[in-house]
Order: sequence, then structure tokens, then C-alpha cells
Amino acid sequence: MFQRFSLFPIILLTSLLSSCAGYPRLLNFPYDPGGRSLNSRGSELNPQVAGGFIVFVSDRNGSQDVYVYDAKNRRLIDLLGLNSLNVISSDPAISEDGRYIVFAASFKGKSSIYLYDRETQQKRDLTENLQTEVRNPTISADGATIAFEVGKNGQWDILVVDRSGQPLNIPGTPR
Amino acid sequence: MWWNLSAKVSGKFPNPSISLWVRWGIGLWLVTLLSACESSVTPMGPVELNSRYNDEQPALSGDGRWLAFVSNRNGKNEIVVYDIQERRFLQLSGLNGKGAIAESPSLSRTGRYIVYLSSIRGRPDIILYDRATRRSEILTQGYRSWLRNPHISPDGRYIVFETARRGQWDLEVLDRGTSVELDIPDGSPVVNP
Repeated sequence: MFQRFSLFPIILLTSLLSSCAGYPRLLNFPYDPGGRSLNSRGSELNPQVAGGFIVFVSDRNGSQDVYVYDAKNRRLIDLLGLNSLNVISSDPAISEDGRYIVFAASFKGKSSIYLYDRETQQKRDLTENLQTEVRNPTISADGATIAFEVGKNGQWDILVVDRSGQPLNIPGTPR
Repeated sequence: MWWNLSAKVSGKFPNPSISLWVRWGIGLWLVTLLSACESSVTPMGPVELNSRYNDEQPALSGDGRWLAFVSNRNGKNEIVVYDIQERRFLQLSGLNGKGAIAESPSLSRTGRYIVYLSSIRGRPDIILYDRATRRSEILTQGYRSWLRNPHISPDGRYIVFETARRGQWDLEVLDRGTSVELDIPDGSPVVNP
């Protein structure tokens, strides 16, 4: 009699524990103090994930730069011509095919939004003609639409542009 | 029932004019109570994206149609979703909870999943809102560190965020698993794992 009843909590416990081992769960990426993995001794900030690419900024090399981690092959991707030592980069975003990266850059007291093309290894300032503070850029996964904040009218507004920097035809776009 | 109440009150006050006042008072109180519940009418036609207040932290859906951001336009800090194609705002029930500040929104491919940071009981949690079921889900139940800046992948399976677990800001990736409905474009073939 006693044995039959003591079986109940055991069954209950095993079913409870086995459900904990499932999803959602945290993925384990190697931690490398040398800075060749996702996490390092520096700080990692503003992450975005699309198509197996994790884009973020880190100060692991003494300057706040943009990094892209390939989660499938577990390695960092080379970004030639993207980072400079005298620029603070922040809030990067990547398209799903991993080709386009947008990020905010602060250089000589001016803030800009840059679009970097991994195919041509060129970056372009999308906010050259905007005489205002800009921040928090994002790009859609298809790589066609970019949105960011502009501080033109004394408060933050949102500007939506295409890849060439032309504003989309949306009512209420700041001028 | 109110008539019983007014009868009781009128029993206390023998003057019939006073019980009439009480009855009118209750009636007026009820009218104001009911009219306060009426929601504002949403205007038709194209709606302006920006307001006179702060509109911050934009996030685009994977297909570029939906734009989620944090706005202060309705007298409180809330997440709103704008339809770039139809040029109007979505009415989302159950997205913005009372007494909590929501921030850092992000969207999956067709905007089905909205992931954001909210502090409901004074500690930050990552919330996933499913537009198909209109339900919210706390993804970081029992997570033991400070966290911020969550972002969902276009397919809706992975969420990456900043964690203070090691005493500095590091990255953590949450896998929602193989059994979740992925946010894939309409008409695309489904591959069984």
C-alpha cells in the first residue's frame, strides 16, 4: 500500500524535470578571453540576430567596434574597412543574408548612420545631408528598408529610408 | 440594486426631495462611469508616423512592412506598431501592460512575434507577444541576472540579449526550440526536420 503511493511523487518529479530539460533553452557559445568568440573580456552590446549572424558592438580591441559572429560555423567574420579606431560605433543591425550592416557612428562630434556592404567592402554615410543628431538604426531582414531616429524637431522622430538613403513616402516624415 | 439603496436612504431621510437628489446623484454617477469606458475613435485614411512626442527605438519586420517603436504619444510610454504599406497603426490588445515600461521592441519576419523588455514586478523580463494568438509569454522566467536589449531573429526561433551574468555586458542566445511555429513568408515550402 505504502509503496504504491510513494510511486506517485516519483512519477510527478520525473515528468516535471524532463519538461525542464526541453525548450526554450540558452545556447552555449564558447567564451574566449582572447576575443575570437562571441563573448570576451570586453563588453558586448546591442546584439541583433538574423539568418545565423549575430551582430554586436564590443570594446575588446580598445575601440567600440562592430563585430559579426557566424553562429553556425562558430567564428567571427572579417569586416574589412568597417571599423576605424577613432570612431565609436553602436547599434548595428544586419540583413538576413549577412550582406548589409547598418550602424551608428560618432566621429568628430557628428553622429551618422552608415550602411556597409560586405560584398563590396564599402561603407556609405546615409545621413550626409542631415544636420541633426541621429541614432538607433535598424535594417529589415530583406535588406531593403532602414529606419533610424532623428532629433530634428526637438524630440526624437523616426525616419524610414531605402538603401540609397531616400526617405520612403510616409506621412509625418520629418523634414 | 440601486432602487433598494435609494429606498433605504429615503427611509433615513423622510424628506422626499432629498431621496430624489440621491437617486439623481447615483444616476449621474453611473452615467459618468459608463462614458469613461468609451474608447477613442481611430481615424481612417493615412495616419502620420511621427508625433509631437518622443518616438524612439525603431524596429522593422523582416519583410520591411511593419515598424514597431516606443512612443510617448498617448500620455504613457508604450510600444506601437505602424503598417508602412497601409500607413496606419495596428490596434494591439494586451501588448502594453499597466504599470510597466516596455522598451527595445523587435519584430519577426511578418511581424507575427513582437519581443520586448518589460519590468512587471520591478525586474526586467523578455516578453514575447504572438499576434496570431494575441497572447504574451514571459521568456526569461527564473533567469537570475540583469538583462536588456532583446532582439528576435526573423524566423522567430532565436532571441539574443545582453546579460550581466559575468559582471559585465555579455551576449546570450535563447533558443525557443524546434516545436515553435516559425514566422515564414506565405507560400514558402515547409521543411520537416
